[in-house]
Amino acid sequence: MSVCVVDMALHSALGDLDETWDGLLAGKSGVRPIARFVTDKYLTGMGAWIDGLPQSSDSSAVHVLLDNVWDGFGSVPTDAHLLIATTKGGIDMLEPLRRGTATNVPDLDNAALLQTISARFGLAGRGSNINAACASSTIAVAHGAAMIAAGDVDAVLVVCFDLLTEFVFSGFSALQALDPQPSRPFDKDRKGLSLGEGAAALLLMSEERAVREGRASLGTILGWGVANDANHITAPARDGCGLIQAVNNALKRATVAPQAISGISAHGTGTVYNDLMELVAFEQVFPHGTPPLNSIKGALGHTLGAAGGIEVVLGLRSLASGQLLPTVGLQNPEERAVGLVSSDVQLLSDGLLLSTNSGFGGINAALILEKGGAA
Amino acid sequence: MSVTIRGIGWVTVAGMGGGRGADGFSMPQGELPKLKRKDVFNDAYLRFGRIDAFSKLGLAAITFALRDAGLEEWDVKRPIGVVAATRYGCLTTDSDYFDSVVPDHGALASPNLFAYTLPNCFLGEAAIRFGLTGPSVVINEETPDGLGGIRMALDLIRWGECETVVAGVSDLERPAVADFGEQAPGSVFLVLSRDADAAGYGVLSRGDGGELLSGGEVVASVEALVKKALKR
Repeated sequence: MSVCVVDMALHSALGDLDETWDGLLAGKSGVRPIARFVTDKYLTGMGAWIDGLPQSSDSSAVHVLLDNVWDGFGSVPTDAHLLIATTKGGIDMLEPLRRGTATNVPDLDNAALLQTISARFGLAGRGSNINAACASSTIAVAHGAAMIAAGDVDAVLVVCFDLLTEFVFSGFSALQALDPQPSRPFDKDRKGLSLGEGAAALLLMSEERAVREGRASLGTILGWGVANDANHITAPARDGCGLIQAVNNALKRATVAPQAISGISAHGTGTVYNDLMELVAFEQVFPHGTPPLNSIKGALGHTLGAAGGIEVVLGLRSLASGQLLPTVGLQNPEERAVGLVSSDVQLLSDGLLLSTNSGFGGINAALILEKGGAA
Repeated sequence: MSVTIRGIGWVTVAGMGGGRGADGFSMPQGELPKLKRKDVFNDAYLRFGRIDAFSKLGLAAITFALRDAGLEEWDVKRPIGVVAATRYGCLTTDSDYFDSVVPDHGALASPNLFAYTLPNCFLGEAAIRFGLTGPSVVINEETPDGLGGIRMALDLIRWGECETVVAGVSDLERPAVADFGEQAPGSVFLVLSRDADAAGYGVLSRGDGGELLSGGEVVASVEALVKKALKR
């Protein structure tokens, strides 16, 4: 059974979907000095943060972030199955708690966030949160697609989000994973990632139901694959074994050959090892030549569990417009990436888009997206 | 479609082990045992001493389950998945980590603790230790039955994503910083396989309404499922 995306929205440091798309096309970056917390003791003071998210001791900023997404999102059938994807959810509430300025922490409970989102749309079920580090929302989309393809349900709401908090920022700084400058994915001088925050929502539906309800398809989830490196907790396998397995599983599920892929929305964090691992893996998967690829994390920062969902939304826009977004921050491509990645828009020929993400715990996930009728 | 339960492992307040030969299984409230490497491993697996308590708990139960299923030893990585349900996840580790951030504006933030502030990291530890390259996912649900991970594992097998999945539930004692409701502490994992002929502890399937069935009867909780399976 074919799986369509019939509605989608996002909010990033560059704004809503249209603002983010237009900003990325123009090579704009959301990475800027952080005014949210003191950064003197960290590797950098830069991040891609969203104006207007409240920093309160009473309620997580997640709620306002999601309200921003709902502004661009339509109705959801009440029988839709809910899958959310977040790595740290309302972790901003742990900070006032441990600093002694708060005592109430309901937003730390991902089940409570599920309940809030379920109630927002009057859904019959509460659903699940999927936590697989930076591949969380990629896996949520894959899982939702698998549920529909198997005929278990015919509508799935995927909602993904993560915040830029001092909790997360301090950790990546302690791991020496932050670039002092805005990150430069696939650049030979890259020194690490920039953190970001954002959220996205996608409504998946069986093609049959979408047609029945007169909903236009914005794109199709053709294939998916998930695999673990079984190699290291915080570093990717240098031979890209897990990503290769995930992509091959996705190709198999989509029943397409590698040559059907015309572009890649890569994870592209800007860390030395991640970006190199991806290039090595793609060389294995595409022995006749790696298709053009990009990363949006130089502009939007790494939005952790939300990254995959945001990249699916933008990937479907890319397929609709025939444009692979610029890799903002790129100046001198890594040797293996020369001719594949660009700081300018690249033309995306007719074909499929591969979207990949990898994360702590050795997890890798891949999706194969096909152009829809409208976007 | 049904799947076979090939192995069972647990660490609960009542004890730890795996399979029919182990001490009696139950999931009472109380304090979990403080896990030491020698409780779980016979070899010098020094890494175990460096990981956080949440990861130790889950890794220990997964180890007992794989051992019971005869899948602990390996030469070549295997496409076996791991799925865990949890309510509190690594919130205790989160608190410990953030306490290292607060004193000096992050100058003393612990990279070692931060690495375990993602609840899926113990699945990565299991993947490394046992060469498991299938999907590895943690899920949070509101339901207190602890069966979310097992339900997802059945789906992964049914959909053809995996032939074998290690699935269960894992939670430390309720953290001092939060109260999401009563949840028996402990970690319980089952090795589930598509191979219907494999000797084991019975079969699981999904009912028409999505409910989990064991031998045709609706399963009420992980604890009830394991007790029934061990009696078989």
